[in-house]
Amino acid sequence: MTSCLTLQERAVAINPTRSCAPIGAMLANYGIHGAITINHGSQGCATYPRHQMSRHFREPVEVATTSLTEKTTVYGGKQNLLAALKNVWERFHPTMIMVCSTCLSETIGDDIPAIIDEFLDKHPDVKIPILSVKTPSYVGNHTTGFDNFLKEIALNLPDRRKKKGETNGKINIIPGWVNPGDIRELKHMLREMGLHGLWITDYSETLDGGYYNPRPHFPRGGTTVEELRSSSKSLATIALQRYIGGEAARIYERRYNVPAHVLTMPIGLKNTDAFVNTLIEITDHTIPESLEVERARLLDALVDAHMYTTGLRVALYGDPDLLEGLVGLIAEMGMTPAYILTAADNRPWGERMVELTEELGVESEIILKGDLHELHKRIKQRPVDLLIGHSKGRFIAEAENIPLVRVGFPVEDRFGHHRRSIVGYNGAIALVDEITNTIFERRATTIVSNTLIETGVEGPTSVPIALRNGATARG
Amino acid sequence: MQFKCNQTLPERASHIAIKGPGGKCQRGDGTACFIANNVATTPGDMTERGCTYAGCRGVVGGPVKDAIQLTHGPIGCAFFSWGYRPHLADSDFHMKYTFVTDMNETNIVFGGEKKLLQSIIEANAEFPNAKAVFVYNTCSTALIGDDGRDVAKQAEAIIGKPVVFFECEGFRGVSQSLGHHIGNETIFRQLVGSVEPEGDFSRSINIIGDYNIKNDIRTFEYLFEALGLRIIARFTGNVSVDDLKIMHKAALNIVHCQRSATYIADMMKEKYGTPYINVTLWGMKNMAKALRDTAAFFGLEARAEEVIAREVARIQPYIDAYRQRLQGKRVFIYQGGPRVWHWIELLRELGMETETAATTFGHTDDYEKIFNQIAEGALVIDNPNVPEIEEILTRRRPDLFISGNKERYLAYKLGVPFVNGHTYDTGPYAGFVGMVNFARDIDKALHAPVWNLVHRYARPAPAARYAVHGSEEVES
Repeated sequence: MTSCLTLQERAVAINPTRSCAPIGAMLANYGIHGAITINHGSQGCATYPRHQMSRHFREPVEVATTSLTEKTTVYGGKQNLLAALKNVWERFHPTMIMVCSTCLSETIGDDIPAIIDEFLDKHPDVKIPILSVKTPSYVGNHTTGFDNFLKEIALNLPDRRKKKGETNGKINIIPGWVNPGDIRELKHMLREMGLHGLWITDYSETLDGGYYNPRPHFPRGGTTVEELRSSSKSLATIALQRYIGGEAARIYERRYNVPAHVLTMPIGLKNTDAFVNTLIEITDHTIPESLEVERARLLDALVDAHMYTTGLRVALYGDPDLLEGLVGLIAEMGMTPAYILTAADNRPWGERMVELTEELGVESEIILKGDLHELHKRIKQRPVDLLIGHSKGRFIAEAENIPLVRVGFPVEDRFGHHRRSIVGYNGAIALVDEITNTIFERRATTIVSNTLIETGVEGPTSVPIALRNGATARG
Repeated sequence: MQFKCNQTLPERASHIAIKGPGGKCQRGDGTACFIANNVATTPGDMTERGCTYAGCRGVVGGPVKDAIQLTHGPIGCAFFSWGYRPHLADSDFHMKYTFVTDMNETNIVFGGEKKLLQSIIEANAEFPNAKAVFVYNTCSTALIGDDGRDVAKQAEAIIGKPVVFFECEGFRGVSQSLGHHIGNETIFRQLVGSVEPEGDFSRSINIIGDYNIKNDIRTFEYLFEALGLRIIARFTGNVSVDDLKIMHKAALNIVHCQRSATYIADMMKEKYGTPYINVTLWGMKNMAKALRDTAAFFGLEARAEEVIAREVARIQPYIDAYRQRLQGKRVFIYQGGPRVWHWIELLRELGMETETAATTFGHTDDYEKIFNQIAEGALVIDNPNVPEIEEILTRRRPDLFISGNKERYLAYKLGVPFVNGHTYDTGPYAGFVGMVNFARDIDKALHAPVWNLVHRYARPAPAARYAVHGSEEVES
């Protein structure tokens, strides 16, 4: 089994799998109770991400903008940012303000931290933290914005320990770019183990809230600023995505002496075991009966499903961390992740994925700087049985008549995906169920190729299958 | 109405007015009319406005079905503007594909012109059947001084098809409205009139300012065709580049969205002498009037009466039935611009009254039309922001809120029935037939059992840790 690494060369990106940095910072900031984002740039830079998040979470999403115009582009956006800070403070009294930049404000060179300092000087009554996060769209992608936000949190919010060994007894958990359902599943696991997590950050309720009468001023839930201040006194930090939060975890280690554990996203049995083992290692707690039962149930589901899933070729696309975790479960299900495509230009990740896939005994092409059009072309050349990724892959799914299992962000054409979980033992069970059911549905209507019998059979992947109307088709 | 949320924002008062007795409007700051509009947003007020790029790429250029939609800039602008607005056509290339030069840091430092040229060539090579390349400029590429116009010219020579360059950088203007204008001007300058077809165009029209949201055209195009008219181009719902090239041949332009597309009608009038009429293609009376006005221009009055009579006979019973169920409901409409005044009459036909009206980017002419039509005592707001909308929903408690998807979940969280007027819940809503869809959606929204459930059974948020709206304390 040999995997290979390809770098997409085309200059033009056609149907990108990724979006841009500010949305990552906005999303992460939603995990802090009562925090408000000010986006320093054109109005579209706030409105577009808001709209995107609304479509995914089906929740009201509010982000302030400094509404830069031509004049401010020439003379600088300082006055607009000062006014925005004042207006947001006076109207909302938030617990924290996060100012994220844009292409526009970065290119014209506004010194956001200095403007924030000036605001705080003028308004001594404002005692809340105001954080500046660099999120120009031309650097990295949406995950970069999330990661930069976490780094700023780690650098700016925690108090120093007053004395050596002072602890809050909690474990910092940085889930990364996941869904509210995922955070709730991780919380469940910690609860079962009798541990207390300090979530950096926690949008499990703020972006999947209930209907309350009256409506709370700020959405219920979220990590409080006070909790974040004490995050320097935690027992350890576990980052569950390497490129979102990995660096923040290392900052906690370097600055506050909180040991860092940077893990693969806990999707599938082995990745989840690694997470649980890390918790055990940190705390000396044992794995509780309830989690053992969940774990056994996952194994049982994998056994029950294996004759339907083994040997299928799958295309995966999305963010590096999600893909790294997913590959684990896909391999455990006996499927081959034929194409693993990410938009990031991240060679170390690509090389590790080559090693990982080879270790897992699967043969993959890992495509860096890729877009969905490239993936479509690959699939046309050599089809797959299943697509796994966010909603934007639906165009390939429709064109090639290949089912799409939706994970990641954004999922805008299905209902309630943000409530689901794909992490932990329960998340993996749910995903195994969904993938297997997708295959069942497929089998009932058209085809599912089993590429193990591909050799020697004419055609791209599979044997000809009779359709209901009597015609034959190939996968 | 004094907004509590505006106590610290006195400048917002000039954007808020009440229609007083005798149709006179009274502005929130005590001065006489007119309502302040089309001016820069107050920074940090949580506006719902978008950017010029959004108006140009998303509204005007995006629906053109056989053009490569290439964004010159970083990835986000292209990602967010891709595929969410249902401006449908009889093909779906424009919905399925988005192209972007994907500017990275190196490009920002060293310039993106080469990458733009290469991108146009590559995109064209991947999709050789596309009829043109539409290039949209963004904030960052404008700031670094890329000469996109020049690159577009070079590219045009290389690929042998139009490369249309839109200077629609997000920071220009105060809202997406300028993007519409730029879209109109650029398409007019670079495409319209570039081909001179042979034939008789004496009974032909363009439908200007319809974007075929959820197939709106299916509700009214057959009516114009029934008059014996030929539709050359739509601007820009379900339109091809070739249609745009010959749209100057039409005998008459009928202008539907008078905010985003009157520009091109004016330019065609000036350059080609093409007359235009303003129409509203939503609602029974308005649709009938649109057909009558169009027919009058061509001397087809009798035919129009036949068509109208046939359609009204078919549709009116449904409308009457819905009016029974909707009578007396009070509505808050918040749309981009013209839909607000397009729908005041439509809602009256359903027995409902618009009590609050707001637009994101309306200009003076839009507000004049609103004040002419709306009932006395109605509240009119320009460019409302999230806290203002929340206050209207909680204090005025309209029976129905008609707005867009960004506002939907705020309305839901406050227990206010909502219909998506931007991209429609089911749709299409235009024409005679579409009005039945609109009425049915309103009926569904108003009478869904869920409202009874939440109004009677919802409970307060459980934790005392979090402040309840209206109280001064924020403990955490």
